[in-house]
Amino acid sequence: MNKLEIIDQLKTVVKPYIKNQEAFDNLSETTDFINDLKINSANLVDVILDIEEVFDIVIDNASMEKMLDVKSTLAIIETKLAEK
Amino acid sequence: MIGNDVIDLALAQKESNWRRKGYLDKIFTSNEQNFIFSSENQTIMVWTLWSRKEAVYKIIRQQNGLRGFYPLKIENCDFENGIVCFEDDVFYAKTSIIGECIHTIASQNHLHNQIIEISSSVQLFKKNEIPYILENGKKVCISKSYHGRYEKVIRTI
Repeated sequence: MNKLEIIDQLKTVVKPYIKNQEAFDNLSETTDFINDLKINSANLVDVILDIEEVFDIVIDNASMEKMLDVKSTLAIIETKLAEK
Repeated sequence: MIGNDVIDLALAQKESNWRRKGYLDKIFTSNEQNFIFSSENQTIMVWTLWSRKEAVYKIIRQQNGLRGFYPLKIENCDFENGIVCFEDDVFYAKTSIIGECIHTIASQNHLHNQIIEISSSVQLFKKNEIPYILENGKKVCISKSYHGRYEKVIRTI
């Protein structure tokens, strides 16, 4: 799975939880889940669980800690996929 | 430093399913989960414990700017006494539940009688993500939280 495919999948995952459509439409690596997409922190858990399901990976707590923006989330997904 | 967090139970019910598989494991320690399952109203307990973590997280952010999603590190160690622990620090949380509004106020000292709620229409400023108001030209630290139908701003006196 290449980076663009991962971003596409990630967009599908976060879509139900976003509160800022404009930021979502302009999503890039620098997009922040909380500050830009306005995802509430209780739903951040859902985003992480959905990522685990969609990509069939396990997100450990140390990784979860960093998953506040697209860039770090991509890096974590890529690492976990490579470990499979 | 103070921090607060408000939860609109109706919105929380609508937006979050805490019974989803794996959900609690990501945010609550096993001690906290035992506490939730032994409580009479589990949904209210979930959101009460969560609001305490969030209120404390706001204080942690003000103190060292450590931004991240680490709910398991912020633990409700002693629910009855409102004690929340993060690494070597201890915080004190007080929660009021009125109707469908859960509101937690957290502080690092025990002086909850020196924290008051103020109007949410007051003009807020922010420096390095730390919110404050101006009172006679002097900075006063505040904490603000909103969720669904509720908005709460608190300050020290």
